[in-house]
Amino acid sequence: MEMPAPNAAILSRKTQIVERLRTVLPADAVIADAAETRAYECDALTAYRCPPMAAVLPANTAEVAAVLKICHEEGVPVVPRGSGTSLAGGALPTADCVILGVSKMNAVLETDYENRFIRVQTGRTNLSVTGAVEEEDFFYAPDPSSQLACAIAGNVAMNSGGAHCLKYGVTTNNLLGVTMVTMDGEVMELGGAHLDAGGLDLLGVICGSEGQLGVVTEATLRILRKPEGARPVLMGFDSNETAGACVSDIIKAGILPVAIEFMDRPIIEICENFAKAGYPQCEALLIVEVEGSDAEIDDQLSRISAIARTHNPVELRESTSAAESAAIWLGRKSAFGAVGQVADYMCLDGTIPVSTLPRVLKGIEALSEQYGLKVGNVFHAGDGNMHPLIMFDANKPGDLELCEAMGADILRLCVEVGGCLTGEHGVGIEKRDLMGDQYTPQDLAAQMAVKDVFDPAWLLNPAKVFPLDSSQQHRIAAE
Amino acid sequence: MADVMLRPVDEADLAHAISSADGPLRITGGGTRTLVHVAGTPLDTSGLTGMELYEPGAMTLVVRAGTPLAEVEALLATENQRLAFEPPNFAPVLGRPGQSTIGGVVAANASGPRRLQAGACRDAMLGVRFVDGAGTIIKNGGRVMKNVTGYDLVKLLSGSNGTLGVLSEVSLKVLPTPEAEATLIFEGQTVSAAVDTLCDAMGTPFDVTGAAYVAAGKKTAIRVEGLSASVTYRQAELQRGVAAGFEVLEGASSAALWADIRDLAPFVGRTGDLWRASMKPTDAPGLIGALDDAGIGHDAILDWSGGLVSLLVTDGRRAGGELIRAHVAACGGHATCLRGDHRAYPPQSPGVARLEAGLRARFDPRGILNPGLMEA
Amino acid sequence: MQTNFSPEQLTDPGTARANEILRTCVHCGFCTATCPTYQILGDELDSPRGRIYLIKDMLENNRTPDEKTVKHVDRCLSCLACMTTCPSGVHYMHLVDHAREYINDNYKRPWHDRALRWVLARILPYPGRFRLALLGAKIARPLRGLVPDARLRAMLDMAPAQVPPVSRNDDAQVFPAKGPRKKRVALMTGCAQRALNTDINDATIRLLTRMGCEVVIAKGQGCCGALTHHMGKTSESHATAARNIAAFMAEVRGDGLDAVVINTSGCGTTVKDYGHMFRNEPLAEDAATIAGLARDVSEVLADLDLPKGRDTGIRVAYHAACSLQHGQKIKDAPKALLRQAGFKVSEPENSHLCCGSAGTYNLMQPELSGELKRRKVETLEAKRPDVIAAGNIGCMMQIGSGTGIPVVHSVELLDWATGGPMPPAISGNRAPGHTPGAAKGDVPNLRGAP
Repeated sequence: MEMPAPNAAILSRKTQIVERLRTVLPADAVIADAAETRAYECDALTAYRCPPMAAVLPANTAEVAAVLKICHEEGVPVVPRGSGTSLAGGALPTADCVILGVSKMNAVLETDYENRFIRVQTGRTNLSVTGAVEEEDFFYAPDPSSQLACAIAGNVAMNSGGAHCLKYGVTTNNLLGVTMVTMDGEVMELGGAHLDAGGLDLLGVICGSEGQLGVVTEATLRILRKPEGARPVLMGFDSNETAGACVSDIIKAGILPVAIEFMDRPIIEICENFAKAGYPQCEALLIVEVEGSDAEIDDQLSRISAIARTHNPVELRESTSAAESAAIWLGRKSAFGAVGQVADYMCLDGTIPVSTLPRVLKGIEALSEQYGLKVGNVFHAGDGNMHPLIMFDANKPGDLELCEAMGADILRLCVEVGGCLTGEHGVGIEKRDLMGDQYTPQDLAAQMAVKDVFDPAWLLNPAKVFPLDSSQQHRIAAE
Repeated sequence: MADVMLRPVDEADLAHAISSADGPLRITGGGTRTLVHVAGTPLDTSGLTGMELYEPGAMTLVVRAGTPLAEVEALLATENQRLAFEPPNFAPVLGRPGQSTIGGVVAANASGPRRLQAGACRDAMLGVRFVDGAGTIIKNGGRVMKNVTGYDLVKLLSGSNGTLGVLSEVSLKVLPTPEAEATLIFEGQTVSAAVDTLCDAMGTPFDVTGAAYVAAGKKTAIRVEGLSASVTYRQAELQRGVAAGFEVLEGASSAALWADIRDLAPFVGRTGDLWRASMKPTDAPGLIGALDDAGIGHDAILDWSGGLVSLLVTDGRRAGGELIRAHVAACGGHATCLRGDHRAYPPQSPGVARLEAGLRARFDPRGILNPGLMEA
Repeated sequence: MQTNFSPEQLTDPGTARANEILRTCVHCGFCTATCPTYQILGDELDSPRGRIYLIKDMLENNRTPDEKTVKHVDRCLSCLACMTTCPSGVHYMHLVDHAREYINDNYKRPWHDRALRWVLARILPYPGRFRLALLGAKIARPLRGLVPDARLRAMLDMAPAQVPPVSRNDDAQVFPAKGPRKKRVALMTGCAQRALNTDINDATIRLLTRMGCEVVIAKGQGCCGALTHHMGKTSESHATAARNIAAFMAEVRGDGLDAVVINTSGCGTTVKDYGHMFRNEPLAEDAATIAGLARDVSEVLADLDLPKGRDTGIRVAYHAACSLQHGQKIKDAPKALLRQAGFKVSEPENSHLCCGSAGTYNLMQPELSGELKRRKVETLEAKRPDVIAAGNIGCMMQIGSGTGIPVVHSVELLDWATGGPMPPAISGNRAPGHTPGAAKGDVPNLRGAP
């Protein structure tokens, strides 16, 4: 992946810049030794790597503001980083940048059950937000599969989703307010504990802006009372088409499950080998989960099963207990780890209209043959968010490039059928050069206009989201 | 100039109308929601009508912006679906003759009682097509449920009241209409007791989809919706717990009650300033108390568990308006004046105001789209 | 994850294994979430993923370890929480052990660091020497203010106030089963534990024989090798481990063994890994045999139909030792046994996090260890227990030094509930930890409970 040439003038001033940073942060919060910066050279997308000039770990909003002010004055690019779990390379450094990690900022600042919100520092992990309120039976709804480790900062930057967003929405639907520091070091509050904006919905545009408009240091999040219970039903079908039709029928019947997960044959096999979840060998598996009291769950599951039966499932297993639910989810939840055991993989994230699923899966199969790389599909079927996992060998020369080319073709296919490049991972570095396939130059110019307003010098998280040539033009224009 | 009216019939036409405009444009859909009279050539979007795509199995609707809201809702009803955010109709309370368009709903980010459970209009938005102040056609988002490709201009346009661009097409997530609904209702609670009850109800696992208090008549109302058996179960659980002693309204009478709350029916035909204040639910009783203490004549409807306070200020309008703005701002919320001799939109902090001005300058460099409408 | 090793590098079995492990890591970062040092420091470099990266870089480039790399690897507790968390099954333990060996062989530590490690490696594994050192520390404690090195002060602090007399139960002998013999097991009596706390082996022998085990104290056994193994001192650790293997194999070849029982889970993790440690050596087969026979005492007890005890009402906060829950994946057995015996068992919040003991970690990294101890004690005390139970002497010492609540080994409670004496740590007859002045006897509600 092409990255802008590092600014030699910045690199030559490294010592002074690091010294300045040390004046506003404790010694162990500024990392500039080459042996140490290497650990920050990538996130969970390891295909692209570049050690930063330095990494800083501020502990609060004031320190973040001080760091940004210095970097702004010095003209140094800043790459914000949450937990470094991005699959799109959202926290990939440039050689002349300072990585601004929020991992030391993980405090709970305020919990309010009456008004149903929690305010946290954004280095806090997604799951530990729920951890902070579960004693009162509350939870934070968005549940990206990396929720154990991913930070709220990254969730806000990427507008992360999760398996249960069919009912609860994604990050932007659960984010009430943020404290944000702009690149010049100004601290501002957007939103709060109330609903909806008084003016323009700046909070809405910050969420999902991939850390390019400001560094979000604190977030006010909607918390919800936990449902009384949740149980899934597992269904196996002999074709992807049938599984797709079943999903559509469930939704048309007016039942709104909290999650509908889909797995295709290659994934079923790999997961079964790894996790021994007792999945049937078939073409397509659906896991449909509903919530409520026991009786409510039984009511919904029986309606869903009745619909499934009209599609002649090869397997239909309603969970009746927590243990059975865990068994049904076991394979799906271990999907990424299981594939990781078999091969290196690249995880794509395109979204498609649910009705085009059979067509897209056929297309992926054809591409898989054409490129000679195996692909497995896990899929949030309720909302059309696909996760094709392309398997390759990172140690085999040329395989990564093959994998990238194939991934690009799959994503183009998603756009062609009316979908988009990324449903929840973000554009990052990975898909920036495909943006032209989804958007016209005018569409992109409008988005870049927002960047011009928030970060006129284009210093925050450079070379991401937009095709490199267009973002470079804006950077040059800014200088 | 006032006798000229632009009424484009398609997106290209709209783009042309804007690019060739030589002065300010006053953008309207059905004209039912605009809060501030802007001087300029009327640009009426009601000619941009028609459904582009409706896929009930994918819960997706793409429709042109000028399509009347009533038509959209009728279409969805044929498939037993609906707009979950329950858009209000303010034509009666504001005394406007027109009929609301879907584009107007989006431009105002107008949401009703179910907003606190199902999200606002902006949360149901999947994509937009719009024309900016230079006449450029821009799309953002799309028609799929999950989409984080690039910046979310969909949210930025929702609620921008036409000041960043004129919507030509909107794409929405729709939801199934549930089998049944019921409302638990009680008369006689004070506002603070009511907000306590509403917050307690929102803290239950029973998916409450409406939590409101109507000051006139001291009515506390809690709504549940879903499969019939669920509704029966949940209303019973609520009655056993937080809503002890509440009566039950079912079906049509429940629906009628919430339509009244949504559209501020108790205020229709009454004179006075109209305010909408958004704040933390538990701050709402304090606002009402402050108005009482100051002797400001008013009537109130609390929605969103208390998080949205609609006020009809009948007496002491100037002082009342100042008090509302100051009190709400001190609580960290904001208040919009729907009708009255006050600035419609709340002032912003200097940083936010600068960013807003910057965005307007970029999306509408000539300053011709509803100029000044949202400026405080 | 991509790796860059030359074919020559991969001919070295240690490097080959490291490559194998690195290839399974997808750099997802899940491990950061449960890593105790990352929780405290928030620095990628002090997380498993960061350490894996540092190790990868060092090994790929045959680089002489630098001070920074060593610092971050040294900060690893080897608690192995990351292995429980890892969705891809990355064998971090073997990787970090290999890195420690590499650092030991290729890095010259500052003299005081070397001296400290030399002393620890020559004292801790030898109960006699360790006991003398503890007595010496007891005498020296009043002078702690004069000690310049925080690590040396930590050593003084860790020494118990009372050093127990040598237990003759730890001598080579055979304890016959009470009643019909169900199993014949060898008890690994350990090294440091024998000097610090003799109650645990005593209780284990009573309990196992009561449950129908013939318990053998094998002649010639000693340290399992874990202490030096985690310092990267491979030749020392292999030498002691080899002696242990020989001692137990003599029993296997003699009257036979159903299990080698270990009541110090830190040792258990290492003994269960003997097969890997010796995989390329002549002792491979014997090592694999002993590794296959190694059982934590809770695993053996789970097979022995512990009688259901009457409800004691005693609240036990169970501290899961990392070596037990992460190293050996034994999570439920100890709790189930305690409940079966009639105790009310709870677990603290964040039970997956290490208490900071981690072998010699509390001596080498007193600051991080102290913070982890503070957090662990806080979450344990929040459960308002009458007694804290753990399955590892290291954790017991660490937690005991931070709380006034009695800390005992799970087997002491099980022994008590099935007819043995009240654990001395509860009765006040002897303290397992050492907090000077802590009123160990002040738990009247426990006296004679089961």
